[in-house]
Amino acid sequence: MFKILIKTLKTGRQTTKYPEKPDIPSAGFRGKTELAAEKCTYCGKCVSACPANVIRQNEENGEKTLTVSYCGCIFCGRCEEVCPNGAIKLTQEYELASKTKEDLLAGIRRNS
Amino acid sequence: MTIQYLEYIKKEFGSQVLEEKRSHNEIYITVRKEAVVKICDFLYHHFDAPLISIFATDDRKKTGCFGIHYVFSGKEDAFIIIRINIDEKDPKFTSVTHKIPAANWYEREIQDMFGLTPKGHPDPRRLMNFEDWADGAHPLRKDFDINTKPPRVKGEYVYRRVEGEGVYEIPVGPVHAGVIEPGHFRFSVAGEPILNLEIRHFYTHKGVEKLFENMSIDKAVFLAERISGDNSVAHVVAFCQAVEKINGINVPLRAKYIRTILMELERLYNHTGDIAGIATDVAFAFGAAHANKLKEQLLQLNEYVTGSRLLRGMNAVGGVRRDIVDKRERILKELSLFRIEFRELMELLFDSPSVSDRIETTGRIYNDIAAGLHVVGPVARASGIDRDVRREHPYAAYHELEFKVPVYKAGDVLARTQVRADEVYESISIIEQALSHLPDSDIKAGVTEIKDGCAFGYTEAPRGETIYWVDISNNRIERCKVRDPSFCNWLAIEYAVLDNIVPDFPIINKSLGLSYSGNDM
Repeated sequence: MFKILIKTLKTGRQTTKYPEKPDIPSAGFRGKTELAAEKCTYCGKCVSACPANVIRQNEENGEKTLTVSYCGCIFCGRCEEVCPNGAIKLTQEYELASKTKEDLLAGIRRNS
Repeated sequence: MTIQYLEYIKKEFGSQVLEEKRSHNEIYITVRKEAVVKICDFLYHHFDAPLISIFATDDRKKTGCFGIHYVFSGKEDAFIIIRINIDEKDPKFTSVTHKIPAANWYEREIQDMFGLTPKGHPDPRRLMNFEDWADGAHPLRKDFDINTKPPRVKGEYVYRRVEGEGVYEIPVGPVHAGVIEPGHFRFSVAGEPILNLEIRHFYTHKGVEKLFENMSIDKAVFLAERISGDNSVAHVVAFCQAVEKINGINVPLRAKYIRTILMELERLYNHTGDIAGIATDVAFAFGAAHANKLKEQLLQLNEYVTGSRLLRGMNAVGGVRRDIVDKRERILKELSLFRIEFRELMELLFDSPSVSDRIETTGRIYNDIAAGLHVVGPVARASGIDRDVRREHPYAAYHELEFKVPVYKAGDVLARTQVRADEVYESISIIEQALSHLPDSDIKAGVTEIKDGCAFGYTEAPRGETIYWVDISNNRIERCKVRDPSFCNWLAIEYAVLDNIVPDFPIINKSLGLSYSGNDM
């Protein structure tokens, strides 16, 4: 009994003040994917590498689009690995909860 | 050693052997369908070689037949695979379950997935295809399209019944109070003592093995990694090792060491979490809180080392994707602090009468039951089975590191807790050794071309041996058979609860540490 009490007092409070105090992930953390419109060449390498098939590329009326959906993203980082131009990167951001699927869709476009 | 097994089998059953093929530590022996029970029985009883998997393949395009493979784990790192061919026109084979009880679920799985009937099976009910699934729809046949939605039909599942004065049934599940996956438990009780338990699973069968078919190798790595959430590393490494074996890829030594470290980190947080669960279920809230705190520290360490709390995204065919070069000091420091705190906690746990009262002699799995069902992992080692894939079939860097395999005989919840606690210390020691001898080399071998072929990959997951058999053709997965440890261990719970009282069921269940997801693929 005393041992338990001592251990409890020694341990103290372990919880953190999240979300008032932000919880910053480790350096290697793979979070939300971000696209850089100016670097992307629409080569489609990320599209074919994505194991979850959440990167889509389209071309309509001369406009190229590339979208990523965070709904099904497994944050494996294969897109970042295969991109020859560094146009797609996984960031440290992880608070992705949203009310609609549309909010979980990011995209870039270019007119050719 | 593989050659010796072959010679013995040829000497005993010469005329029954049709074909033999050796590659690495695997020997494939194709035999006549009629002789398979005798040959399996010979391997199992004469050589004490445990049956570790049975799986079927649909080779109708190549050979015009279905194939069934019986996989035995032999001595000196040998795998003996007995293979039979089954003609589509006569889709039956003789069941070996009455000789080798461990064959039970495998044969029923083959019956559902391939439509091949095990003749003489003691329990020929469906296992994975539920009663509303149409007759004749067998998902793993190659002519079954992955997008097929068979019509729902009417049917009934008949449970075993225990009858007598004062005998009641308690149905539990498939929806449970906690946020866990579905499974049905049908208890027959007389008062509190449990007379019989029948489990029913596979409510959320995901068709993972079908998903693997025709998948490219680099994508399949991530599917393997996500089959059983908390055993990610064990699954992905087993898969990668199978592919590397087929292609003769020499994984750099440094990558092997890093894989070993990752696998032991996985064991650490799983075992700590299981001990937390056991403490919760005996209402030892203090112990549960502390064990959960320790588990959280480990998860944060995982994130520091790999960027992922569940150690994901590190493995690839050929090695690992990230180095852990500058992380050595912090890992060592945190683990040495963890060891002190863990030891303190375990002393408090085992010294507490309110805990030992509940876990001693509770949920016994006797040695003969564990051996008969081929129970694996810490559960087997708590029932006196001295088996660990890390030692029996060494992989990654385990043959270069020293570790003990703790074995207890009692087979109760206490023994299972002790095995896990002992393994925690061993895991820490393995990580320390691996970090201090971390060789200098690349972390990933270049993979230029994927060859056709098949091979086994295997790891000792926190729950026990995880076995992959991968068959590659034209850069794509032809067949990937996954055998998760829980597939072996679930049936043991039906024996573990006998003569125990209903209120002890949760603690027995927790002590077995079973996975729904890994089982229900």
